[in-house]
Amino acid sequence: MILSHLAVLPILVPVTGAAVGILLRNYRDIQGAWTFGSMVTSFFFSVALLYQVWTTGEALVFQVGGWEAPFGITIVADMLSATMVVMSQVVLAGGILYGLGCTDKCARYPMFNPVFLTLATGLTGAMLTGDIFNMFVFIELLVLSGAVLTAISDDQFGPEAAYKYFYISLFAAIFMLIGVGSLYISYGTLNMAQLAALIAANPDMPLLPIAIATLMATFMIKSAVVPFHFWQPDFHTAAPTPVHAVLSSVVVKIGIYGFFRMTTLLFIEQAATIQMILVVMGAFGIVFGGLGAVGTYDAKRMLAYSTLGQLGFILVGIGWGTPLALAAAVIYAFNHSLIKSAMLMLAGSVASRAAVKTAAFSTIQGMGKEMPFAGILFLLGGLALAGIPPTNGFVSKLTLFRSGIEAEAFLSLAFIGFASLITVVYVGRAFQRIWWEPKMPDIKMKPAGDRLVAPTILIALCLILGLWGEPLIQLADITTVWILEPSNYIEAVLGSELVVSGQ
Amino acid sequence: MELLTALAIGIMFGVGIFQILRRNVIRAAIGLIIISNAINLFLLSAGAYDGVAAAYVDAAGQRSDALPQVLVLTAIVISMGGFALVLAMLYILSARYKTSDLDEVKGLRY
Repeated sequence: MILSHLAVLPILVPVTGAAVGILLRNYRDIQGAWTFGSMVTSFFFSVALLYQVWTTGEALVFQVGGWEAPFGITIVADMLSATMVVMSQVVLAGGILYGLGCTDKCARYPMFNPVFLTLATGLTGAMLTGDIFNMFVFIELLVLSGAVLTAISDDQFGPEAAYKYFYISLFAAIFMLIGVGSLYISYGTLNMAQLAALIAANPDMPLLPIAIATLMATFMIKSAVVPFHFWQPDFHTAAPTPVHAVLSSVVVKIGIYGFFRMTTLLFIEQAATIQMILVVMGAFGIVFGGLGAVGTYDAKRMLAYSTLGQLGFILVGIGWGTPLALAAAVIYAFNHSLIKSAMLMLAGSVASRAAVKTAAFSTIQGMGKEMPFAGILFLLGGLALAGIPPTNGFVSKLTLFRSGIEAEAFLSLAFIGFASLITVVYVGRAFQRIWWEPKMPDIKMKPAGDRLVAPTILIALCLILGLWGEPLIQLADITTVWILEPSNYIEAVLGSELVVSGQ
Repeated sequence: MELLTALAIGIMFGVGIFQILRRNVIRAAIGLIIISNAINLFLLSAGAYDGVAAAYVDAAGQRSDALPQVLVLTAIVISMGGFALVLAMLYILSARYKTSDLDEVKGLRY
């Protein structure tokens, strides 16, 4: 095997697994084991990819079909992509593992696991590709799979939530096509590396601001940044637990990845404006998400609003734009994925014990008394969400605030520092309602709910990354140094002689 | 010709947006088709013109750029899949809520 094939394996393994998984649809146990096995295999390949990229310090570039860079589709695994892919695949593997031990009827459907794998393909592909139209295609695959998985939910409002999600995502796709078309008209290429070189050489094209605006709108819809968030809480109330645990933690990171690429690779000249918008929207999102989470009546909906706030922290980190702030954003994105997916799985497993499956506080109040282990995990996850040691949330928040002090952005720092205290309020309230307060007398509990294997693994990872956070911080530092020099990416894809001529 | 195409795309986009913003779910779905076709025309016109003459008219010297046509094909296939999913969800929604008015579809609104 040629080494550069490693870059394409995290995409190929899930899509092959999905195809074979459809053929195995009549053998449910074999299919479950097969899909989980292909996801874990893919995860190990992505870890190998990250190891390879980290140790050599260079991006791994794969030219699909042997077509050289500006003409063919390029798969580029640099430090940022590889980190994001490892982050996604660990959570996706956790999601499939949760789905295998899940009491939802929809997780038994023959197409559930294959569609989950196409979701993984779309997410991984969008993060690894170096071609902006290819990114659009992968994002569409991701959105279609996500909408299908939501629409088949046991919850009666599943189709309504999926309709909202899919409609707004189709709009995002339309915006992205306008952006891609504008870039193609202006620069005649779709390769991100060549686009970056050409945009830097000639930043005055009339269609360029339109491309930036539409791409920003696209990524904001994908990440549910606050003015574009309205589909997200509804969606998380209705989606099946394994699905929304993945969608609220790693799928929203596709927009974060897009903003990383926009501010550090594609639009360097305009980065200051983009970053200013990101700081304002991020800070607004932190307050809005926090207050929204405090005002909810439903554990899953609370965590969905909390995602809006946590994404705000990452956006503020990208917006400050200093090396340390970008590193903090990478760390925050990684940690938030683990924490949020585990928390949503725990909320879902408590909800699965209710007679009629719901996560409304009025129903699940006091139900935690019979699930003490889930309570411990929820407490640890809540501490991580609020940023209290010894969890990884502390590491990410500390790095972010330190970078804010270093960037001397004291106004926004004070704002988000105050707003982050809201996290403690809503997490504490949820823990109190579910595990401390007395149970409603007329509520019956099912004897068995969803298995807790997947959230246990994810919370254990949170603890490990909290107590031994050094490797992740080093990784984020190296990543930031690498991506802040856009010529690294361009040279890795195009080779150095093409950059000089600009064509 | 360029002006005409630009106007046509603009009008299609406007009509599509207008239909999407209406409350009837069927009209919203039709608006979605119109708007995605407007975008496809926009992508197609990205490669169709080389200066003032339509590139594919002049057989000898000018060739139209083939790449946007490929992009449009991909976009058509994707929007078809997406549209099929939208129609399927509309079917479930209209059967469950017994209405075609989006304002009546409010099970998740609290």
